[in-house]
Amino acid sequence: MPDTQALVNDFLNKLKKRKIEGSQATAKQTAELLRSVISQTRMPYTNQAAALIHSVKAVGERLIAANPVGCMHVMAELAVGNVVRRVLHIIREEDLSLTTAAMAGLNLSAESDDEDDTDRDNHPALSAAAIAAASRSTLRPPSLQTLLEDVPDSAAVPHTSSSGGDSEGKSKSADKSSRSRKLKHDVIEAVNELIQDISTCHELIAEQAVEHIHQNEVILTLGSSRTVLEFLCAAKEKKRSFRVFVAEGAPRYQGHLLAKELVTRGLQTTLITDSAVFAMISRVNMVIVGAHAVMANGGVIAPVGLNMVALAAQKHAVPFVVLAGSHKLCPLYPHHPEVLLNELRSPSELLDFGEFSDCLDFGSGIGAPLLHVVNPTFDYVPPKLVSLFITDTGGHNPSYMYRLIADYYSADDLVLERRTTSGN
Amino acid sequence: MWWRSASFILDRQQEQNTSFPPNPESLLLSSPPPSMADSLQNPKPDISAYYQTRAAHHAVVTSDWLAQAQAAVSLQTNDDVSSGSDGRVALTGGGTGVDNKTFSVIDEFNSWRKQPDLAEAVAAIRALAAVIRASQATTMMELEIELKKASDSLKAWDATSISLTAGCDLFMRYVTRTSALEYEDFNSARYRLIERAEKFGEISYKARRIIAMLSQDFIFDGCTILVHGFSRVVLEVLKTAAQNKKHFRVFCTEGRPDRTGLRLSNELAKLDVPVKLLIDSAVAYTMDEVDMVLVGADGVVESGGIINMMGTYQIALVSHSMNKPVYVAAESYKFARLYPLDQKDMGPALRTIDFGVPIPSKVEVEKSARDYTPPQYLTLLFTDLGVLTPSVVSDELIQLYL
Amino acid sequence: MGAQKKGATARVSEDPEELARHPLQAILLADSFTTKFRPITLERPKVLLPLVNIPMINYTLAWLESAGVEEVFVFCCAHSKQVIDYLESSEWSSQPNFSVTTIESHNSISAGDALRLIYERNVIHGDFVLISGDTVSNMSLTQALQEHKDRRKKDANAIMTMVVKQSKPSPITQQSRLGTDELFMAINPVTKQLLYYEDKAEYSKGFISLDKTLIADNPSVILHNDKQDCYIDICSQEVLSLFTDNFDYQHLRRHFVKGLLVDDIMGYKIFTHEIHSSYAARIDNFRSYDTISKDIIQRWTYPFVPDVLCGSSAIKVERQGTYRASDVTLSRSAQLGSFTFIGQGTKIGNDTKISHSVIGERCTIGSNVTIEGSYIWNNVTIEDGCQLRNAIVCDGVILKSGAVLQPGVILSFKVVVGQEFVVPAYSKVSLLQQPTQQDSDEELEYADSTSGTGELRSDKLNGDIAPDLSETASELGTGGVGYIWTVFEGAYDEEWRHSVAPIPTDKLVKLMLDKDEDEELLTQDGNVISASRELKADSDGNGSEDDDNEDSRDDYVSFEKEVEATFLRAVHENVKVDLAVLEVNALR
Repeated sequence: MPDTQALVNDFLNKLKKRKIEGSQATAKQTAELLRSVISQTRMPYTNQAAALIHSVKAVGERLIAANPVGCMHVMAELAVGNVVRRVLHIIREEDLSLTTAAMAGLNLSAESDDEDDTDRDNHPALSAAAIAAASRSTLRPPSLQTLLEDVPDSAAVPHTSSSGGDSEGKSKSADKSSRSRKLKHDVIEAVNELIQDISTCHELIAEQAVEHIHQNEVILTLGSSRTVLEFLCAAKEKKRSFRVFVAEGAPRYQGHLLAKELVTRGLQTTLITDSAVFAMISRVNMVIVGAHAVMANGGVIAPVGLNMVALAAQKHAVPFVVLAGSHKLCPLYPHHPEVLLNELRSPSELLDFGEFSDCLDFGSGIGAPLLHVVNPTFDYVPPKLVSLFITDTGGHNPSYMYRLIADYYSADDLVLERRTTSGN
Repeated sequence: MWWRSASFILDRQQEQNTSFPPNPESLLLSSPPPSMADSLQNPKPDISAYYQTRAAHHAVVTSDWLAQAQAAVSLQTNDDVSSGSDGRVALTGGGTGVDNKTFSVIDEFNSWRKQPDLAEAVAAIRALAAVIRASQATTMMELEIELKKASDSLKAWDATSISLTAGCDLFMRYVTRTSALEYEDFNSARYRLIERAEKFGEISYKARRIIAMLSQDFIFDGCTILVHGFSRVVLEVLKTAAQNKKHFRVFCTEGRPDRTGLRLSNELAKLDVPVKLLIDSAVAYTMDEVDMVLVGADGVVESGGIINMMGTYQIALVSHSMNKPVYVAAESYKFARLYPLDQKDMGPALRTIDFGVPIPSKVEVEKSARDYTPPQYLTLLFTDLGVLTPSVVSDELIQLYL
Repeated sequence: MGAQKKGATARVSEDPEELARHPLQAILLADSFTTKFRPITLERPKVLLPLVNIPMINYTLAWLESAGVEEVFVFCCAHSKQVIDYLESSEWSSQPNFSVTTIESHNSISAGDALRLIYERNVIHGDFVLISGDTVSNMSLTQALQEHKDRRKKDANAIMTMVVKQSKPSPITQQSRLGTDELFMAINPVTKQLLYYEDKAEYSKGFISLDKTLIADNPSVILHNDKQDCYIDICSQEVLSLFTDNFDYQHLRRHFVKGLLVDDIMGYKIFTHEIHSSYAARIDNFRSYDTISKDIIQRWTYPFVPDVLCGSSAIKVERQGTYRASDVTLSRSAQLGSFTFIGQGTKIGNDTKISHSVIGERCTIGSNVTIEGSYIWNNVTIEDGCQLRNAIVCDGVILKSGAVLQPGVILSFKVVVGQEFVVPAYSKVSLLQQPTQQDSDEELEYADSTSGTGELRSDKLNGDIAPDLSETASELGTGGVGYIWTVFEGAYDEEWRHSVAPIPTDKLVKLMLDKDEDEELLTQDGNVISASRELKADSDGNGSEDDDNEDSRDDYVSFEKEVEATFLRAVHENVKVDLAVLEVNALR
């Protein structure tokens, strides 16, 4: 599939050159890329879902392994990974619904058809319902219900479908090919919906602003997030009058940009340093922030400084609200979040190298620098500090996140790399 | 007033009901437990047989002894099965048949349970499988009723074992749900049920492997793990981590009165993992050196909390106050439909404690063997269904019982 | 009409869009034409030496790609085959929108030769980036490029833009960081034009001379000693033709830049672009190798740091700046200090202490080893009880048990150090004999004609070394294999200047004292800058420098006479002013 290779390379290039800004754009373009991959995949007669899954997984591995360089490093990897897993889940779901529908149809037609009795006798234990049940269990994550169930002939599920199809002769072949086209068609429709969701996530979240921001409230935020900006402006549109405290978000000082934006949109804004958050939090009614990623336990990977704001909010009983589009939902658990998912950037954002170049060289004894400048990009906010998540599907508790994850992702896709990680 | 509390009254009644004083239990397993000749009742109702067995298992033994014990037990089991089946073949069905069947269920169960490597629930399900095998029923409804009776008697025999209850319930649900399948006739259904039940042992073993795999990422290099109680799942987790050459060290609590810590430290020392033994009271003292707490569970209740060996609640409280994560490793068949609101809400599970010196009879001893840890003190549950937060447990149970 | 059209077409050809349609090109000189990295560079080209476990050229290529360069011409001379093989087998040969072409030569001895060759190949169209393969940077080129292009439009003589970096204005910074001497630059702060460049200032003289016309032409001049030359240049096509015209232009700075600055016949101008928070540095000698490795470990070059550059093998960055690749077998009692990098597949034994070092891949380090501030490359075996301090150990070296490496030692490829042997400080050890023809001026950057092929000259080392090992008591103790290169007397004092080891404290103190003395001398003089003749006359009063002044005064006097004569003749013969000026200038 030369075209897909070119598309993937092109996308990777754009990621590397930082031409794509923001996780939303990354997610959207990943989804579009996967849509093209799917539409170009040639579908065999049997096991179509597996073919689709295989091709999507291959592309997904490449995207994640390519490790785009730049400030988007961790964020892009998470956004890309999430979208790939969503698409895989969509494929499985569509296949499942088609299979059950087809099986039901097959069963009805088979009963009326005498030729098929012999086939049915060969598989006495597997009627349509059993096949459906078995396929349902293979495609669903393990649960208590399925604990005792065996999957006796998981290979037999598509096998019987194909053999059933063949045995029914040419009359069904047209139906078969239409069925294969239907799977692709359904999957592409679902992916289109996904792209639509990703593009409109800001609007969907902003729509809920009016329920949460009331008159004469004081809102605190840190750094700059597009979702938060839209959220606040949507509330402003609905004629709520409120004030915003913006913490500047050192060392990148993106809070300055946000403050300017808010002022141009007509909101009363106060700019404070990060260290002043604890001092000002008692005057604040609510803290609203954006996130880079939401982990499966409800924890949040957010720009550095937000853990401190969350702790301040908890101490003063101020609700801490996190806005996140559903493409930021990640099915992984943070094992050791401060170290693993953090990206240490160049210390030149803190200190000008020239001024301190002597402190950084000849020290005592081994010539080791005595001054070490660390610049982490992310913070991990544990779930117990978060009061509410607002996603494009509505407001949720942190302990509810596992449900959304179960809806959006399948357990088989958690590990996208095919090589085993030993010793990790 | 504490002496009017419900649980206290229950305790008093229990004590008054005992027919004979409990024997001080010797910790070394010298002979198999006495056969329950003609008695449907658990001879020592006030002593939790579950915890007795665990104590027997947790004696300081070597793995060679274990292997021998296992071999001996399997021989005996085969004898039991053959004798049991012979006995049943001779029956013609009728009133006495019922007695013999329930008799053999508990026997079955006990014989399975002797194997130290086998989980309670697995033993229960295997016993129920034996019931099916011996059953004379001709329709699913009859079979279900028999199974229900057998499972009830098992549960009544030892009311304190949660995984036993959970295992029985799980199997019953499975039977009820799948009995409505139209496609199969009775014989194939029976065959299927027996086969699934016997395969359940494999599932249990696989579950441990899955849990060990899932928890690997949470053990990072240089971490210190505090372990309480002796859980085979936790041991599997630590074994896998040691095999993956992770550098970590383990603090074991002594685990009075079962001395679980001694056994665990034995096993870990064999794996070259640095182990430190603490007395139970030293947990808060060392908690600041600890990076995470890892425990098993006897049962996981609907709220997401766990029921585990006495002392778990205490450790969870200390960890929570010091912001250390508490991880629970439990297989999914331990999820039970209980919702205890406080410590005394569960049925009492008592266990004799040997203090080494005679205690005057006026002095009361708290003999409870287990406690309940509420879900807010737990961070994550590692199960074969995946890594779960405590709030997921109720979701799973609802899905099962809907 | 026709003339207008012609003017229009002429303007169109200078249209910026037309120029921009050419892809941005770069010339990467993969040969430094120096011998500073011997004995290592006898066997491997400098650009393939690992910098924190990644060959140097990767940093440069990655930076060029991110800066928007689309075509790179890699010029290789020494060990060119190795460079070409490496580039072909790496990912750089298959990047979209980024083509890497190698240009090979076998008889170039300087950067000038290289540029002349490239000019002959006629592959450069438009402005290009000139860089050497041992430069590490993370700056963004867009602004510098834009400024360069704007200047070109206004003044066609602005042919080069040099990138300079602000560094601390301490007199010893240059020495302690990069091992080079202090650099003086005079820059016009308004136009950013470079007016004076001196990197080999003679301290004995105690002053530098600036031409008076500099001050005449430029309303303000700032003399800097706090700038670091990054050796990143944005050049226009004229640069190449200039090299071709002047065959004696060899060194980029010493000849080309200085030549241009002095030459006002053609009137070419060099400009500077200053960077502040971005990072750029060139690895010139062992000291800068050490410094820049440390900067990379401290992530000043983000995003060109090891864990981001090699995405295939996951490298974990831990607290305290420790980098650990996958598959590292650490014994429990080993202690990894801060700022250490451990490569893939390395095994480290019990009670070993490693700090501030870089360890390569597949190394085996025994027990009770102490490694501090050292750079150990791939496949090295270090047996028990060794001690290494501030050393560079190349691929395949074996250190037998108990060996000690004193600070500043360089062990080249496959050397074996015998048991309990102490390698003296600042020594260079190699399997190859020291080349007998040694340039007396080791600073001269002419590559040795034999540098491309290093031969094993000794019979002992032919074929299998193993059976001879135990009997051979070579210079490196029992079981050792290799030769310690002798250092010439004159050069020994200077070894510490550009060695891997940090400057010993006593020398550091001496350096600072020297600078203080120099400053005092200068302030006594009353003027640091002596702009040509008048001020020199003032310093006559200083007795210490009489002799020099005498000679120069003689020259100066005769020169003055010549000028007078020429001037008078011009007046008499009614020669045009411009021509007269030319004549006078030519006398210089």
